[in-house]
Amino acid sequence: MSVIEFIEGPLWSFALAVFVLGIAWRIFSLLAMKRPRDLSVAREGAGGVGGATKALVIHSIPHGGNLGRTIYHFVTGYMFHIGLFVLVLFAAPHVAFIQERLIGADIGWPEMPRWAFIVAAEAAFAGLILLYVHRLTDPVKKQLTDIDDHLGVWLTFIVMLTGCLALQEAHAGLRAFHMLTVEALMIYFPFSRLMHAFTFAFARARTGATYGRRGFTP
Amino acid sequence: MTEDARMSTAGPTVARPPMRRLSRARRLRALVAVTVCAALSTLSLAVTMSEMAEAQQLPSPESLKGQSIAVPGGSVRPPAGAVNLPDTTSNAVRRPGQGEGASFPSAPSDTVLGHESVTEGLWDRIRHGQAGESVLTGGERGVLIQSAGEAWRLLRNDQVVRYGGQMLLAVIAAIALFFLVRGRIRIDNGRSGRVIPRFSLAQRIAHWFAAVLFVLLAISGLVILFGKSLLMPVLGPQGFALVASAAMQGHNLFGPLFLPAVLAILVLFIKGNAPRLVDLSWLAKGGGLFGGHASSYKYNAGQKIWFVLTIVLGLAISVSGIVLLFPDTLADRSQAQLANLAHGIAAVIFIAVGIGHAYIGSIGMEGAFEAMAQGTVDENWAREHHDLWYAEHSGEATTDRKRAEVSAAAAGDGIMQGARP
Repeated sequence: MSVIEFIEGPLWSFALAVFVLGIAWRIFSLLAMKRPRDLSVAREGAGGVGGATKALVIHSIPHGGNLGRTIYHFVTGYMFHIGLFVLVLFAAPHVAFIQERLIGADIGWPEMPRWAFIVAAEAAFAGLILLYVHRLTDPVKKQLTDIDDHLGVWLTFIVMLTGCLALQEAHAGLRAFHMLTVEALMIYFPFSRLMHAFTFAFARARTGATYGRRGFTP
Repeated sequence: MTEDARMSTAGPTVARPPMRRLSRARRLRALVAVTVCAALSTLSLAVTMSEMAEAQQLPSPESLKGQSIAVPGGSVRPPAGAVNLPDTTSNAVRRPGQGEGASFPSAPSDTVLGHESVTEGLWDRIRHGQAGESVLTGGERGVLIQSAGEAWRLLRNDQVVRYGGQMLLAVIAAIALFFLVRGRIRIDNGRSGRVIPRFSLAQRIAHWFAAVLFVLLAISGLVILFGKSLLMPVLGPQGFALVASAAMQGHNLFGPLFLPAVLAILVLFIKGNAPRLVDLSWLAKGGGLFGGHASSYKYNAGQKIWFVLTIVLGLAISVSGIVLLFPDTLADRSQAQLANLAHGIAAVIFIAVGIGHAYIGSIGMEGAFEAMAQGTVDENWAREHHDLWYAEHSGEATTDRKRAEVSAAAAGDGIMQGARP
């Protein structure tokens, strides 16, 4: 078995297993956590579900009159996340790979044209670099940053970079290198803050429900 | 020197906080990270070696004599001189003059007009770029061979590559020599322990965004420009094809982002970069290398020249690069060749000067890097290198580094003060 066959075969299976089981375990652990009972009386007309929904919505858009302070993060954050999401799910090689290796050829969705791929990649790269540069230079945010954040950003950047370097689809080595970095990211993902991709909704809903019961949403 | 300045020069040395011990979880996480990185590097190396091994196992040209060569999927270019066989189903090519029964397009050798062979005359006209008739539309539609392309190729491969490479090597050698002779430029009076806000957060973000793109584009661009001369002998044709393909894709992808980065630099740094009389004095003294102290405001003459070069070369590279990304929009190929030459020459100059900028902004000068890292500079550094700017801002000096950093981030000298902490 060649190195490339190993990367695209057993190592991929192992990485996928760690990714799926790790995420399932983390989410299950989160949901199974015991929470202290809220003994306060709920405000009239207020409810946990409404608060959770409201928190999920308003924390996804600038709110609270602090647009000037948050616009940078909203713009760059959406550039990166939407760009990455589109690349992962709609890039032609990814659609083909998902069909071939995960769901079968019968299920599928349209792949985006090449120009859209380029636009999404530009947005994702610009967003990620701008977010990371801000993290490194902002006097407050850099105090909150540790090795987990650096690793998450670097792994994501390298995955995106190797994917784009293999864009010509003419060399098996470049494709395998991209897969290798993807597998490293998948193995690291469940044990890092990259889990926010799955847990952010739970966290925001929980906070929103708690405060919603008390009659306001921060 | 003012009383305040004397006191600050002799100010107390700021004690460094004790190093924090990493928690067990963090140490474990770091260990996992290092292991993952090591595994990644090892496997990357293995992939490269595997590709190299495949490249070395290619058959020799001699062994291919008389054999058909399959071209898979059209993604691999046929060997030089190969022509398509009439059999379109086999998708095979054969080297000219080899193999039996090869049905190459044959010249009508017996057809002669006057004293001139039709073939010779046809070739002569094509070779000199004479346009013929074509059903295609667009510029140069009837031109089979654009002779100027050979001149462009020679100019690029011989002149730009040779002199560009020599220029880069000369710059690196000069910087190394300067470092060996002069050493790191220290703050003469040592650190004062007091800092002054210098660059806003918006300015630093724009700077580092442009810097990251500059490095990525410079590396990939150098591979494209010099790779055939430097890397191909080492990696072999197949290995170099892999590296060149990666470099080209990365270069094309990151390139368009450089234009907004340059424009952001222009908007955020233009204030203070206008030429002033004091700049002539600074230049005459070689920035302080000859003739004693050279005064300057926020930016000295050298920084102003670098700013102008960044804008001019950055825009030239960006515009020519975008032109090269869409060659079909051009009227003819000579415009693409011109854009390619302008792109390469401007890039080599930009990289050469950029290496000097990176040197003096990091290991070359004590106290310079923190201006772009933290947004603040030591008071003594400001006094020694930008005395006229320091005179205007000396009242902002403080021993509270974190407060100065926050202050710099929120209220620098840039036009836009966005991205506040």
